[in-house]
Amino acid sequence: METLVLKGFGEVVKTVTFRVRRYDPEKKEIPKYEEYKVPVQKGMTILDGILYIKEHLDHSLSARYSCRMGICGSCGMIINGKEKLACQTQILELGKDLIKVDPMGNYGIVKDLVPELSKLFNNHQSVKPFIVREEEEPKSEFLQTPDQREKYAMFTDCILCGLCLSACPTSASDELYLGPQALAQSFRYIVDNRDLGFEERLNVVDSKHGVWRCHFSGACSEVCPKGVDPALAIQLLRKVMTTNIFVKYQQKGATRGPERKSALGVS
Amino acid sequence: MTIENKKGWISWFNPFKYGTDRWMFALHRLTGIALGLYLIAHVWETSNILNGQVTWDKIMVDLDYPFGAHYGPFILSLILIVAVYHALNGIRLTIVENGLMLPKPYRPEFPYKAKSLRGLNNLLKIVLGIFMILISAIGVIFIFTGVIV
Repeated sequence: METLVLKGFGEVVKTVTFRVRRYDPEKKEIPKYEEYKVPVQKGMTILDGILYIKEHLDHSLSARYSCRMGICGSCGMIINGKEKLACQTQILELGKDLIKVDPMGNYGIVKDLVPELSKLFNNHQSVKPFIVREEEEPKSEFLQTPDQREKYAMFTDCILCGLCLSACPTSASDELYLGPQALAQSFRYIVDNRDLGFEERLNVVDSKHGVWRCHFSGACSEVCPKGVDPALAIQLLRKVMTTNIFVKYQQKGATRGPERKSALGVS
Repeated sequence: MTIENKKGWISWFNPFKYGTDRWMFALHRLTGIALGLYLIAHVWETSNILNGQVTWDKIMVDLDYPFGAHYGPFILSLILIVAVYHALNGIRLTIVENGLMLPKPYRPEFPYKAKSLRGLNNLLKIVLGIFMILISAIGVIFIFTGVIV
């Protein structure tokens, strides 16, 4: 049989076996593994392999993806036992002839490799991931120095792929745990000098299932595809929380810049 | 219909592919459980003194010769190593979990190796690891020979 070759990639190097965990919600069966033989061309990622399976071998395979370049954070999966973005993992770089693809753990499965991420988004929402100010609509920008920005800048890179919650051993056993993603984001807003919502976030973050549940296993930082280092954020957040007991954590709120008007006269 | 895909507590003991900190977490859990069970056994063991000296002496000999051979010192050495690991890693966790000896927020650069799991945290691991070896060695020598080095 002639192997189909995908356009835009190099020559076929070898054939690898994809062992994909399948789950069909309509069939009421427990998830099981199915194997597919995929010819690997130079430059093919795991996502390309999955799309090859979908196009040529089994149309019923489902996976979630969007940008194919590690920006959208849709294609998180467990590849050979480690959480990775499928679009950023080269098949040849793995150097294995058998590739085991699982949906992310600690979430529900909608179908095959599609996880149910509402837990991630709900947790993210619960820590108020926005700048909390009294004014409804600020008329001018808040002032911030580059140094003040550096304090939180790295945590803004989070793409909400949810790999950290899948890797986290605490999330595995505690369903209500906020997770590294939400805690890192709460730290990002708490140390932002424009923010005034520390007290509001306390009841969510400073709780039994909040920041104190982390045991610093570092798995979240190890799997993060953007280098956000959520484990660092959680420990630094804990530092803020512990010092808050002795010296109240003060949020002054950045001063406003001059009021500006656009060319149309609308602010 | 979506189904649950929880990894469960069993995944605590799957530290493969996640780096040293994850291994230490798994060992910390394992040693913690082991020490908890040991504590219960220890309370039972020492409570036997209430049953008189004959019982006590018999229990002492039985525990020194479990499974028909002189395994007592080996088991004691294992408990010591487990306890030392748990204690020293606990000290490390107390330090790093309060945000000390960790880097300031930095700019992530490819290949995105997390700095919080390296740097001073690694230094702490090495220093406490040396301590662990030293304390365990002294303890094991004491258990087997009765000599304090």
